[in-house]
Amino acid sequence: MAGNTIKTVHDIFQSMEYGPAATPSYATAQAWLDRHSRSLGLFIDGKFVCPADRQRRPLTDSKGVDVCSTVCAVEDDISQCASSALNGFKAWSVLSCYQRAKVLLRLVSVLGQHGQCVSELCELCGASCSSSTLIRQLQYYSSWAQLRDTLITNWTPLGVVAVVVSDDCSLYSLMLKVLPALAMGNSVIIVPGLNTAPPALLLAQLFIGAGLPAGALNVLTGSDMSLCAKVAQNPNISHVTYSGNKQDGVMLCKATAGMGVPLSVSPCIGATCPFIIFESADIDSAVDEVIETAFKKKREVHWVLCVQESIVDSVVTRLKLRMAGMKCVALRSDGDRVLVDAAIQEAQQQGATLIQPCSVPPSGAQYPPTVLCGAAPSSPFVVCPAPGPLLPLMTFRTHTEGVTIGNHTPHGQAASIWTEDLTLALETARSLSVGSVWVNSHSVSDPCMPVSGHKDSGTCTDGGQEGLYQFLRLRSSPPPLPRSSPVSMDYSNFGTAACPAIIPDDSDPASAPKPYPQFVGGKACKSVSGCSLAVQSPGGSGVLAYCPDGGKKDVRNAVEAAIKVQPGWMKKSPSARAQSLYSLAKGLEAKRRDIAASINVQTGLSMDEAEKEVELGIARLSDWAAYCDKVQGGALPMPQSGSALSFPEALGVLGVVLPDKNPLLSMVTLLGAAIATGNAVVMVPCQKYPLPALAFIQVLQSSDLPAGLVNIISGGRDQMTVALANHSVIKAIWYWGSAEGCQYLQHTCTSPLKTLRLFCQKDEEGKDEGKDWTQSHPSFMEEMWRNAVQWKSVWIPTA
Amino acid sequence: MAARNPGMKLDLEWVSKVRVNTQAVLKRAQHIQGQKIPKKQWQAAWLLKAVTCIDLTTLAGDDTPSNIHRLCLKAVQPIRYDLLKKMDMHNKGVTTAAVCVYPSRVGEAVITLKAANSSLPVASVATGFPAGQTPLETRLQEVRMAVAHGASEIDIVINRKLALAGQWEAMYDEIHQFREACGDAHMKTILAIGELGTFTNIYKASLVAMMAGSDFIKTSTGKEVVNATYPVAIVMVRAIRDYYLFTGQKVGFKPAGGIRTAQESLLWFTLIKEELGNDWLCPHLFRLGASSLLADIERQVGFQHIQYISIPYFPAYKYVSFNFFFFFYRSTIM
Repeated sequence: MAGNTIKTVHDIFQSMEYGPAATPSYATAQAWLDRHSRSLGLFIDGKFVCPADRQRRPLTDSKGVDVCSTVCAVEDDISQCASSALNGFKAWSVLSCYQRAKVLLRLVSVLGQHGQCVSELCELCGASCSSSTLIRQLQYYSSWAQLRDTLITNWTPLGVVAVVVSDDCSLYSLMLKVLPALAMGNSVIIVPGLNTAPPALLLAQLFIGAGLPAGALNVLTGSDMSLCAKVAQNPNISHVTYSGNKQDGVMLCKATAGMGVPLSVSPCIGATCPFIIFESADIDSAVDEVIETAFKKKREVHWVLCVQESIVDSVVTRLKLRMAGMKCVALRSDGDRVLVDAAIQEAQQQGATLIQPCSVPPSGAQYPPTVLCGAAPSSPFVVCPAPGPLLPLMTFRTHTEGVTIGNHTPHGQAASIWTEDLTLALETARSLSVGSVWVNSHSVSDPCMPVSGHKDSGTCTDGGQEGLYQFLRLRSSPPPLPRSSPVSMDYSNFGTAACPAIIPDDSDPASAPKPYPQFVGGKACKSVSGCSLAVQSPGGSGVLAYCPDGGKKDVRNAVEAAIKVQPGWMKKSPSARAQSLYSLAKGLEAKRRDIAASINVQTGLSMDEAEKEVELGIARLSDWAAYCDKVQGGALPMPQSGSALSFPEALGVLGVVLPDKNPLLSMVTLLGAAIATGNAVVMVPCQKYPLPALAFIQVLQSSDLPAGLVNIISGGRDQMTVALANHSVIKAIWYWGSAEGCQYLQHTCTSPLKTLRLFCQKDEEGKDEGKDWTQSHPSFMEEMWRNAVQWKSVWIPTA
Repeated sequence: MAARNPGMKLDLEWVSKVRVNTQAVLKRAQHIQGQKIPKKQWQAAWLLKAVTCIDLTTLAGDDTPSNIHRLCLKAVQPIRYDLLKKMDMHNKGVTTAAVCVYPSRVGEAVITLKAANSSLPVASVATGFPAGQTPLETRLQEVRMAVAHGASEIDIVINRKLALAGQWEAMYDEIHQFREACGDAHMKTILAIGELGTFTNIYKASLVAMMAGSDFIKTSTGKEVVNATYPVAIVMVRAIRDYYLFTGQKVGFKPAGGIRTAQESLLWFTLIKEELGNDWLCPHLFRLGASSLLADIERQVGFQHIQYISIPYFPAYKYVSFNFFFFFYRSTIM
């Protein structure tokens, strides 16, 4: 109050300054923390558990004052928690949809009562999330909980889902994983970050109050990401999903490789996102909004301002004017300050000019908002953005160039585009390879919008109906991976074993095994290395044929051909794609005898049965042709006024290592799923039975598919797996093979992140194992195409 | 007084490039409305500043010398002397910015103010207020007569027909002629935003009005269905900012119509401070056109005393405020 008495009314009358900011009150949250003596425990089996003799991790607020401390869980806690979660799953999943929905809705009214406490606690812990946002999420997912069995038939919950987030992840992103998992009937173990731990514990407590069975939601806190690997190791866990920064996500991928637990990653923190202003934009609004979002203290993404050249002066003048009077932004630490200083110095050496509203303080963990004019996509401060309130500004000439620059980063999280031209807005929205496009707005998130991080920004879809499938599996198919312990393996040695050399022998040239070509870039050819592999006959009695021994270079050539044609294929009308697939089916029909013969020779199946498989294959391709115009997005029910659209988009180039079972049918099924949705594929026939796939090349040759869209490269499975895993353009890999192969892929496919669908098949013939390829149930097809697309949501707010 | 906006040649290319995104403006307005308003002595100071920016207005068919007289005296002494004294503001010249009346009442207002030894300017609406649907010649004549009677500020209304039809050249010419007719009197151009259709049109009309030499642009007459709203104000002040960036000339802004509470006046100041900066927070560049606002501000300033300076307060304003309420009531039911 002392400060108040110094300023007289007349002083203020002259200066027209703002009064001091009111200090927010955290009374309710503090009282809750006091109730727990400021040392929060774990939340297991519906109650707080405070085991003694554990390390504790302190949490301080933005001013450095101690808020509370959390327990660092150890092995015992994890196993206790996991078995409680398993019981929780049993209790929760047997409830009816209506009962589960009711629990979620009851939490809404509980939040109505305790919303104050939740939002204060979030604020206090630096994990801001308003209770209205939580209520929106709960209401959205309660309706899905209610209608799960009505609208998503034949799918069943996974079991115990571990939701892991990094320290810098927001409570919103955490709940965007937890709530759909619960709504679908899974039980959840939350492994929160430092800041999200207290709110997560409080929400778990409120959930139990709302009638959630004990154990259905547990919270384990720890000191760092190592806890997550230990949790994933527990055999009761069926799925791990992660949200947060990229580094921790990669660490988790590597740590969980080989455990046989599927992992989905949403690296939503730290991506570089373009903020594109076209000349047809409302410049004033765009500038105001970019200033609002780019210079926040807590930013989840790094914005890069891209401005059309014709209006760059106008934008810069406005930036200068609007930023005038802004104050320094607090950095997280003095270390960040060093990084910022270094980045600025380097930028200036490269000729960047700065817009800063005030002078730079000589030291300390703060920095003024800074626009770096004269940036280029290659500038170091764009490629590796420093923490802090820095905004690079670059220019582009044409609309196409704007999109190219916007797509330049390895990330594909989100983009904000500004134009009053509807056509341009929609064209740009479709061309940007990002998960969310915000037209004339930014940072709008809502649980109804399905968002997949494109490129390096994720391997799963969150939000919307599409995001629910992350937490469901087909009723008919078993879990794809058996739980196992990671074997110690030398990743650099995997797949390097040389195949046995083929030497000339004196057999009769007339009966000598036939060499088959592979199919790369629309041409039947030998492998680059020129080497071949012998294909054994079913009994293992002799050499049946030779197939090319493909490798890295073959994959590279195939991908190069694929990326040339894939965008055009994706842009084709669905009906044009359907026609191509119908003609492929027709081509297969024309060659049915040859293909059936190859199945017969290869697998020893009778000719009748082989023909039946081809028959099924023809039907399957026709099915996919028909699906081409059925896979579609739509308009989303956003609470705000405007138009929200979702689009399924092709992933790009897929790598497929084909299963042994039903070699032809499984291949056309996977091939159809991939290309019907607009992807290109590089397929590796199973090492054991490659001939039907290689015989299929003649069908592909006579088809009207663009050359390069479908590639078939034969070779050693492990060698080919290595080649696919290390190609940076391939966005997803579907793999049927050994446990080591699965572990290798999980460990290796982290930068850029690849979407993996892994199926462990035993080398011994197990007739009833794995997928039943002969079924043609709608949900069987649905699962396929859902794995072949990524979602994009576009938000166009209107008044 | 600083130099007046001399205007400039009509730049149609600039006008045609204008684009305004409605929802972004609405969002910005929401953001500003969500700002914390000042408290305690900050509130008192801001409210007094608001008083000095008021164009105390009566525009009713039954205005007579008697209520014009009361209005002028209230404008000279808008806040009770004892309240001002408590804040040590009694000798800081707290008066309203001007009084605003119909042209036929200008003479009486000038006489009253002169008799009260006040140099307070008298503003007159003109040019066929509020509809502007009279011949150009009579509208020009109205301006000249108001100036001749002693009005030093003229609030003109634009010809909406021209704005709606996009005839910016014709509109520019008309306003330019009004400006010449005003002579030394300051010209405030009323855009009647409630009748302009879109935000883009409002922005364009604002630009054209400034190019034609307006000293102020004003939202509305107070007689349209939609009056001064925050989103519209954001559009207009952005045009002012744009014009300032291009020409270096600061043009004033006057929201009018529907501003009734002290709370609203504080929000208006926040908006101007956020969008244009402190330079605009003075009667030279910002005016509030209002009739009933002053009474509420006076009441709030009184409450401030009870709460923070803890002196018993008896609402002696009632007698005065009755009159103001009456003006307001009349003007809205017309």
